[in-house]
Amino acid sequence: MKKIIYTILALPLLINISFAETDEEKGLKIAKQTYENSRGFVDSQSDQVMILIDPNGNEVVREIAGKTLENNDPNDGDKSITFFKKPKDVEGTIMLSHTHIIENDDQWIYLPALGRVKRISSSNKSGSFMGSEIAFEDFSGSDYRKYDWKYLGEEENDGEVLFKIESFPKYENSGYSKRIGLTDDQFRTRKIDFYDRKSELLKTIFFEDYNLYLDKIWFADTFRVVNHQNKNSTIFKWLNREFNIGLDKRDFEKSSLLKLAD
Amino acid sequence: MKKISSIFYFIILLIIFFFQLSKGYSLDYKFYGHVQPEISSFINGKGKHNQPNEKESVYFNINFISYIQDDLAKITINPIARYDHQDNNRTYIDLNRLKYEYFFDNVTFKIGNEIVFWGVNESFHVVDIINQSNITENLAGTKKLGQPMLALSLYEEIGDINLYIMPYFRERIFPGNKGRPRYAVEIDEDAVTYESSKKEKRIDLAIRYSKVIEDFDIGFSHFHGNARDPELNINQSTLKLNPYYPILTQTSMDIQATKKSWLYKLEALTAKIQSERHVRAAGGFEYTFYGIKDTSQDLGIVAEYLFDDRNSHPFNNEVALAIRWTKNDISSTALLAGANIDMRGNSNQFFCEYEKRLKDDIKLFVDLSMNGHIDSNDFTYAFKDDSNLTIKIAKYF
Repeated sequence: MKKIIYTILALPLLINISFAETDEEKGLKIAKQTYENSRGFVDSQSDQVMILIDPNGNEVVREIAGKTLENNDPNDGDKSITFFKKPKDVEGTIMLSHTHIIENDDQWIYLPALGRVKRISSSNKSGSFMGSEIAFEDFSGSDYRKYDWKYLGEEENDGEVLFKIESFPKYENSGYSKRIGLTDDQFRTRKIDFYDRKSELLKTIFFEDYNLYLDKIWFADTFRVVNHQNKNSTIFKWLNREFNIGLDKRDFEKSSLLKLAD
Repeated sequence: MKKISSIFYFIILLIIFFFQLSKGYSLDYKFYGHVQPEISSFINGKGKHNQPNEKESVYFNINFISYIQDDLAKITINPIARYDHQDNNRTYIDLNRLKYEYFFDNVTFKIGNEIVFWGVNESFHVVDIINQSNITENLAGTKKLGQPMLALSLYEEIGDINLYIMPYFRERIFPGNKGRPRYAVEIDEDAVTYESSKKEKRIDLAIRYSKVIEDFDIGFSHFHGNARDPELNINQSTLKLNPYYPILTQTSMDIQATKKSWLYKLEALTAKIQSERHVRAAGGFEYTFYGIKDTSQDLGIVAEYLFDDRNSHPFNNEVALAIRWTKNDISSTALLAGANIDMRGNSNQFFCEYEKRLKDDIKLFVDLSMNGHIDSNDFTYAFKDDSNLTIKIAKYF
């Protein structure tokens, strides 16, 4: 009899435990949903323009173009090719990346002056991309598998309720101690604050210009980056985005660089 | 231009023309390049052969690329040229790339002039053999001349296979009498001889297999044809050096292991020239410190060692050391500095190359080349007084 009473008493407690997510679980759940909502594009092609702005308002423009092949292997990352176009001295340079989740990416670069394809190290996670305020690691920053997550609560912004989530890189050589992001109820990341290795606020990326592609995926077509330490900013825009255009994994091999080379 | 190569180019142009005609559409193309005036100042005054202590020249590089035949084929036209008002040999136009390529699913067919690079090293390019070097550009021979070829590339699961049929040989371009640096003895370009009775019309062949296996990039190559590197023999009557191109049979391998910030490299070959076999190998590492002192700057270290079992070869026991600093700023500021050291103690050279973008379409290069101790019987003694500072300004369009 006593046993039954105990069991009955324990029952609500058990139910409660199974429903009560920890903040880590809730953070992961939101991050995973955000990531999965951005998947299913199969492959993509786009032009990209970067405007680098210094504290005095001087602007320089960078142009690249890219192709990406989605990889739905739960233990591996996408493949991408980047064509450098401006500044003009880098025109003809091409970079290939086979991304991985925790391990270093595999990267090759085609150097037109020598006709050479060189395998390069991808340990440079925190380095600046073409002198901008965007780091190499920011391009794969939406992959939830690369971070530990923690839900921090809700935050109201212009009458909109947003989820506030904290993330900590799991891979080596990140330039960040943590990131704090805001995600909306459509699971679109709206803004992320980045904290440097000394835990000082480094920069903020605002994800703007959301458009619906393939009738199912929201992509931000503008990243606005503000560096709070050096006061530089970068505007990164995607143009002419196309999806599901029939690219194949053979288009993303080391030998593809020589085929694509000018 | 000699007869056989003229026919070759005529065929290419005919193919291009035929396909353009059959489509009859407007051409979609890319066009870009740069013009680069340069000035060198020689630190030790006039040269050994009374060359002036300054030299000026202009370099041109033009690229025209067009995809045709529903993007299944591509035409590339990439001439390079230099005008040097002192050295006639350094004034040239070369069709570095003038090629037509057709892309099948797993196969690429190519006809025309091409630049092909084999290998993994930064300093000692041991296995790279397809293209002839233009020594007037730099003595290290890293500037190449376009090689006429028919090439077939097969991309298979087991790896990539490249076949090269090269119907016409390009002679090495050496600095002229008024060039600086130049060889101690004049090179007689009218007295070139070959082992092959077909001379420059000998059909050279090469095959390469390459594959990426996880962190390793591996290549095996075989070449049979006119040696790119001539023997220079003194003619007792003219007292000039006569280039002699023997037939070379070379088998080589190159491998790079990429382990986080470390790149480990090795290139090795065994080759036969006139029944004499030799072994040549070079390897080393590259390590990069990324984001030094929590900035965006990187510092890389390169160290390579070269070995050749021919005691007579001028470069058979050498070390190259360099550091590469990249600021990763808006101007792409970078500095490469290092030394080439002959381990027998006969010679050493130091170099420093600085570059920075001045404007969106203008880039500055400052190269310092300094000769240290050079033994009077060393091959490089001829260049001892040629330490110089070179400033180049490239304008891109």
